Amino acid sequence: MGSVVNLNGTAHYVHWHFFLMSVPNVVVIVLMLIVFTVALFLRAPGAKKPGGHK
Amino acid sequence: MSSWTVRVREFGLRNLPPERLLPDSQPAYMTSAIYLFGALTISALVVIIGSGTILALKGPAWWHVASIGHFFNSIHLWSVELFFFFMVIHLWGKFWMAAWRGGRARVWMTGAVCFLVAVPCAFTGYLSQQNFDSQWIATQGKDGINSLGVGAFFNALNFGQMYSYHILLLPIAVVAIVALHILLVRRHGIVPPIPLADSAGAPAAE
Repeated sequence: MGSVVNLNGTAHYVHWHFFLMSVPNVVVIVLMLIVFTVALFLRAPGAKKPGGHK
Repeated sequence: MSSWTVRVREFGLRNLPPERLLPDSQPAYMTSAIYLFGALTISALVVIIGSGTILALKGPAWWHVASIGHFFNSIHLWSVELFFFFMVIHLWGKFWMAAWRGGRARVWMTGAVCFLVAVPCAFTGYLSQQNFDSQWIATQGKDGINSLGVGAFFNALNFGQMYSYHILLLPIAVVAIVALHILLVRRHGIVPPIPLADSAGAPAAE
């Protein structure tokens, strides 16, 4: 990962009005929101469909 | 009068009979992948404890001088990242399910306390790195801790104290609370979906 992104400098920040957050933190939060949304609609492994069949 | 061992056994069997403690099936409503994030959080915790045990055996400076030490340090770091990643999604899912319903308040509360205890457990890990990053974090963190008036008890500049908290006291607390949380989930079962409102708009009775 370190070879893909240079991690040796100071972080960049997203600054909009009162909102101030480092880009890595914004990326992680956006990733969590995406995974949360996808997980809501993904079927759990082994779960039966409403009709009772897998 | 029966002995305490009998009373403990009877209490355990009454509240957590074997078929409830180790069930062989899950409720029909557990169909969405959002229900998996509790188990994913526990999986990450197992990797954290395993990699942390290896790091503890070799000492806090090992990862600076050995590539295999660096490898296990990275496993430890990223399993913690995934632990919080999964735990926050688990929290969001359970919040929108209103998972405290049906007498599950203690399940919700132990989960919330687990999150609160896991945060300092991770923060003391930053203080255990033995590099300039940990020194910087310690000198910044001590001001916050002192402002709370608890600097005499939690000295971020005391490496030995922070290391003890990180590898012994706080992990024991996290694992104990997680165990209690899981037992309570087994006791009460996974929270059912929120009932749909009837045609008149009134919420259906649970």
